Amino acid sequence: MLKVDNINVYYDKIHAIKDVSFEVNAGEVVALIGANGAGKTTTLHTITGLIRPESGSISYTPEDGGILDLARVAPHKMVARGLAHVPEGRRIFLQMTVLENLEMGAFCKGKPAKEDLENVFGRFPRLEERKKQVAGTLSGGEQQMLAMGRALMSHPRLLMLDEPSMGLSPILVEQIFDIIAELHKSGTTILLVEQNAEMALQIADRAYVLESGRVVMEGSGAELAASEEIRKAYLGG
Amino acid sequence: MALFLLYPINITLRRGTRWKRGKRGAGSVRGFAPYAESGGGAPGQPEAKLEVVSLSLVNNLINGVSLGSVYAIIALGYTMVYGIAKMLNFAHGDVIMVGAYICFFICSDFGMSPILGILAAVLVCTLLGVLIEQLAYKPLRQVTSLAVLITAIGVSYFLQNAAQLMWTSNPRIFPAIFGSGGIQLIGDLTIPYKTLVTIGACLVIMAGLILFTGKTRTGKAMRACSEDKDAAQLMGINVNRTISITFAIGSALAAVAGVLLCSAYPKLIPTTGSMPGIKAFTAAVFGGIGSIPGAFLGGILLGVIEIFSSAYLSTELANAIVFLVLIVILLVKPTGLLGKKVSEKV
Ligand SMILES: Nc1ncnc2c1ncn2[C@@H]1O[C@H](COP(=O)(O)OP(=O)(O)OP(=O)(O)O)[C@@H](O)[C@H]1O
Ligand SMILES: [Mg+2]
Repeated sequence: MLKVDNINVYYDKIHAIKDVSFEVNAGEVVALIGANGAGKTTTLHTITGLIRPESGSISYTPEDGGILDLARVAPHKMVARGLAHVPEGRRIFLQMTVLENLEMGAFCKGKPAKEDLENVFGRFPRLEERKKQVAGTLSGGEQQMLAMGRALMSHPRLLMLDEPSMGLSPILVEQIFDIIAELHKSGTTILLVEQNAEMALQIADRAYVLESGRVVMEGSGAELAASEEIRKAYLGG
Repeated sequence: MALFLLYPINITLRRGTRWKRGKRGAGSVRGFAPYAESGGGAPGQPEAKLEVVSLSLVNNLINGVSLGSVYAIIALGYTMVYGIAKMLNFAHGDVIMVGAYICFFICSDFGMSPILGILAAVLVCTLLGVLIEQLAYKPLRQVTSLAVLITAIGVSYFLQNAAQLMWTSNPRIFPAIFGSGGIQLIGDLTIPYKTLVTIGACLVIMAGLILFTGKTRTGKAMRACSEDKDAAQLMGINVNRTISITFAIGSALAAVAGVLLCSAYPKLIPTTGSMPGIKAFTAAVFGGIGSIPGAFLGGILLGVIEIFSSAYLSTELANAIVFLVLIVILLVKPTGLLGKKVSEKV
């Protein structure tokens, strides 16, 4: 579904992503793990066009077939193609209400469909209770739910999540990962960026390890979780 | 002192014309004084004096709200553009001037109906605003905000100079497109039509903008862009288009403000828009920049403070007093009257 081929990304002179290649097949959960500053967020931003690669290609197979080079698609046109990106730090619209945030999630669809709202409220009952509340007054966990709910409003085929567990209590982390597993079961393809390697590798079909802008390891979730190196570097021994 | 100031106000009231602010120079207040001989509220008649005091107070208040409405309409344009493009469009005031000239030519030179004049002004200013945004500001979107600010000042001078070239700096006297009459309220108190139109237009515009940003899809997209452009793009919102729409709305409002301003203060020259532009910017900051009700409140208060300080304190110092009040308020509430601080949760 998504094939990232040898991309190089720069911030001015900083070479943030170096010849990175990876693939996400339809129906998979693929994890991208790595330490702070490894280039995970940059990789996602490159896929959704918020920053452009100097070289390399990003091919995506949209629903209607064919191959789309995402490096040439305007960022605001991605979501209509089935790519939804839950950015690092949630980036919900703090001064808008919960409901308005969800409406923005369905922006490419025009008016949000009732079933979609019900679907999101079904997954996150907390959001329904607070739908008239301004998003800035939500707790951190609720904000994460809103960010995910907002992305779901567009019916993504490929859902990209950037550190959904950041800053959440262990119970909430479990909850968020349960929801990711559910989404996976219902057929959504997921690209998951995580610092929390343990949780990410548990849920991932396959995973890639990024280190200072390069892919240094790849394998199935179970393989990497069992690897000596990974245990040392990311799983605390 | 107070009595001396009351003469001209009383006189102009009786003649049904508005007392002009210190626009024509400090002498204007004194200039009217000789007519006081024939007026009713002469010194030494205590009862008449009282009536004059309250009448002039009401009249000043109306004038203040009317001037404030013009400021508010301009400030709404400032605040929307700032809120979404995060830039201070210092050329906004000069778009007002262009709007006023367009309306002037349509109504005075071609003798067409004022409605056509206003429509033409709105159309030209909308196009001008979008053109300025596309040519001057859009290429600089990724650059520092200082560069954009300097560009905006450049655009402002460009418009003024272009107007001077095309239309010379000879003052044009803006026609009384809303008629010279008014509605008589009680006794001597008449509200001119132009004042009613100004205040009414301001209320309608503000209500319209609140509904637009609160209820429509495009309006909500605007608010999303004003908070986080990247996140808005991820939602499928075309940020460039949204910014253009904002400039179009702001510039259309500038055209309306230009017509209303020149209806109240008919001397039209290429720099006509610059001082009201700066005052309206101040009003927007005062009310809380980025906030629509804030721009409205800031504009009205600014107009009222300005008229009251020139009526009761000093015509010469009116502007200084206005800014003094603003500075004090901003010291107490740095985000402006209705500006809010957003706390982010990480
Ligand atoms: N806007 C920017 N300008 C310059 N350098 C940047 C910018 N954003 C990221 N970088 C650099 O690019 C590199 C990769 O950053 P990135 O945010 O992709 O890391 P990350 O893997 O997401 O880290 P974290 O886990 O801390 O979120 C870092 O060295 C960072 O300093
Ligand atoms: Mg990151």
